[in-house]
Amino acid sequence: MKRSWTHWARTAAVGAVSLVMVAACSGKSTTGGADAADGQVTLKINFWGDFGLQDLKTKYEADHPNVKIQLNSGEYNAQHEDLQKKLVAGNGAPDIAAIDEGFMVQFRSQSDKFVNLLDKGAGSYESKYLPWKWKQSLSADGKTQIGLGTDVGGLAMCYRTDLFKAAGLPTDRDQVSALWPTWDKFLEVGQQYTGKTKKKFIDAGTNLFNPILGQQQVGFYNDQEQLQMEQGPKVAFDYTVKAVQGGLSANLVSFQADWDKGFTSGAFAVLACPAWMLGHIKDTAPGTQGKWDIAAVPGGGGNWGGSFLTIPKQGKNVDEAYKLLEWLVAPEQQIEIFKKVGNLPSQPALYADPAIADFKNPFFNDAPVGQIFPKMAQGLTPQYLGKKNGPTRVAVENVIRRVENKSLKPDAAWSEAVKEADKAAKS
Amino acid sequence: MSSTRAAPAPPRHRPAPERGRRGADDRRLTWRNRLYRFDMRYMPYLMIAPFFLLFIVFGLFPLLFNAVVSLRNYRLDDPTLPYWAGVENFSRLFADEDFWNALYNTFGIFLLSTVPQLLLALLVASLLNRQLRAQTWWRVGVLLPYVTPIVASTMVFSVFFSRDFGMANWALGLLGIGGADDPIDWRADKLHAWIAIATMVNWKWIGYNALLYLAAMQSIPRDVYEAAAIDGAGQWKQLWRITVPMIQPVVVFTVILSTIGGLQLFTEPMLFDPNAQAATGGPNGEWQTIAQLIYKVGWKDLNLGYAAAMSWALFLIILVVAGINYLLTNRLSGGRK
Repeated sequence: MKRSWTHWARTAAVGAVSLVMVAACSGKSTTGGADAADGQVTLKINFWGDFGLQDLKTKYEADHPNVKIQLNSGEYNAQHEDLQKKLVAGNGAPDIAAIDEGFMVQFRSQSDKFVNLLDKGAGSYESKYLPWKWKQSLSADGKTQIGLGTDVGGLAMCYRTDLFKAAGLPTDRDQVSALWPTWDKFLEVGQQYTGKTKKKFIDAGTNLFNPILGQQQVGFYNDQEQLQMEQGPKVAFDYTVKAVQGGLSANLVSFQADWDKGFTSGAFAVLACPAWMLGHIKDTAPGTQGKWDIAAVPGGGGNWGGSFLTIPKQGKNVDEAYKLLEWLVAPEQQIEIFKKVGNLPSQPALYADPAIADFKNPFFNDAPVGQIFPKMAQGLTPQYLGKKNGPTRVAVENVIRRVENKSLKPDAAWSEAVKEADKAAKS
Repeated sequence: MSSTRAAPAPPRHRPAPERGRRGADDRRLTWRNRLYRFDMRYMPYLMIAPFFLLFIVFGLFPLLFNAVVSLRNYRLDDPTLPYWAGVENFSRLFADEDFWNALYNTFGIFLLSTVPQLLLALLVASLLNRQLRAQTWWRVGVLLPYVTPIVASTMVFSVFFSRDFGMANWALGLLGIGGADDPIDWRADKLHAWIAIATMVNWKWIGYNALLYLAAMQSIPRDVYEAAAIDGAGQWKQLWRITVPMIQPVVVFTVILSTIGGLQLFTEPMLFDPNAQAATGGPNGEWQTIAQLIYKVGWKDLNLGYAAAMSWALFLIILVVAGINYLLTNRLSGGRK
């Protein structure tokens, strides 16, 4: 009898402590939502890099004394991953989450986790946006719009005038554009440059592959979600391997320390330059002011990246968040952002606005960026990005890196790329 | 509290007057008695309860929940799949090249790191166990790598092992290996990448293990060594015949700990990759470990069910390998117990 009592007491004691501790742990944190009682709201915006929001935040807070805005900038991939985790957990997502084009398909297929902006009256925006931009964030059945576009990554080529001059190439942006109407010509110019200076022409094979792929009719997947390696990807891959074989590529990895260093050290003379890249170059290599210029991209227009603002459904201040979102995509703010960091708005009506059309970027030799980038964005036939677009791109990029580090023979590269892409498609 | 006895009472002996007073305030004493009994019997359980509680919340629950998820179709990008997957996630493991490749890498790096690590730690410990000048300085010194944040040290090593301007290649060049015209590309093939990563692991953990060994060594009586020395046993023989068998429990402990750590290797291979966000461990998965593959499958391919199945497989593999290592070390160091 005594023995069983001890046993019971032990269990009870442990149990009691457990209960107390669980109770202590389950206290819910009440940031953001709870202070709505006195009319005060805190809105958190998650994004990456520089969205040019700092001044806008001050302005909005001054006009709306009951709203406090929390800007949370993080690393590009980490922010998307974080959002995905918070969506699964059902808690902790920001009030407004920026999502990049490359991740849009992934989040679009979870449209039930986002506020349907059409319910909030966003339908009137459809006519204002570039049609392909509007469609990118629309759910598959077309009934849910999870985000409103902020910028698009209209594509051009940034080049170093000083390095071009040293190689005996023209430096004027129109003459440079005329040098490379096609990618074949582009590679020829590269051979000329490398032959003369013994230096590398482009930053990385992958940064040649992606823009060329972006110009093709069909990307990795058709709209039936079938892998289409033999069409667009093959064209882009062949040019890339040719460039790597010809020793044109500095074999760097984008957004890594060595790549960033390359901007200052002149490790490469030209790179594919979406509108948002201008801010990055300016921030990483401030000392190269005036040494850059912007020319047209070979093969016509193109797009690389561009973002959307979305409202996760789990937020407690969805209505206030929508008000802020509407304000952020309004023309004045979009123009403000363009001037500040160079992000090109996705509403074509703005391209005619003198504030954009006449804007010249002093860092890039006063290049008329307000003319160059809109032309690229408008001349674009959008590509369908499949659900597996992200992993497939990584898989093929990895094959390119293997050619670059010489662990894979160029002849065997294509069949390897097909194999890896297949694997990614099935993952 | 006076006692009528002149002689000092034995420590646990209850003084007589107290026993006499018992009848007077029986209730108070019983209460105190109970409290005392509670303190003796149940307090230890209470004190240890927080650990088990945290273990249940952060250890056992995730483990079990993981098991449930591993039997599900849990794709973030495709919620339309049927809820349960049965054992499909597990059967898929066996045919998955990536999984076997990651397993191969993990074991490769594990062998290259654990074995030299523990042997060197043993040597360092026996050196530190001698009479040295500035003893504390040396002892703290070997622990410094352990104190360094792992991300910081990995970033430095990652530069150290870079192809064009890395110090590793420079040093090897002095020895006539590689050199400026034919530098080793540490990220282009398995063996070099493994060596680079194993070096980071070894650097970090040798000092830590050495201090554990040192602590154990200091409890070995001196006269054993003296007797051995008189019998003509040299330093080397003393190390293997006396030291190692006598610190055997600590050896088993470090072997099991480094087995667990080695098989879960994540940060070093992750940050060794210049394109870390892809989590592929090199363009051809040259050094992708299982922990890294789990991360990739879960958060890059968005297949949480399959990732959970992999985590369980890793858990079982660690159990088996740790068990084998336990038996081996037991036998190696004399087979006692």
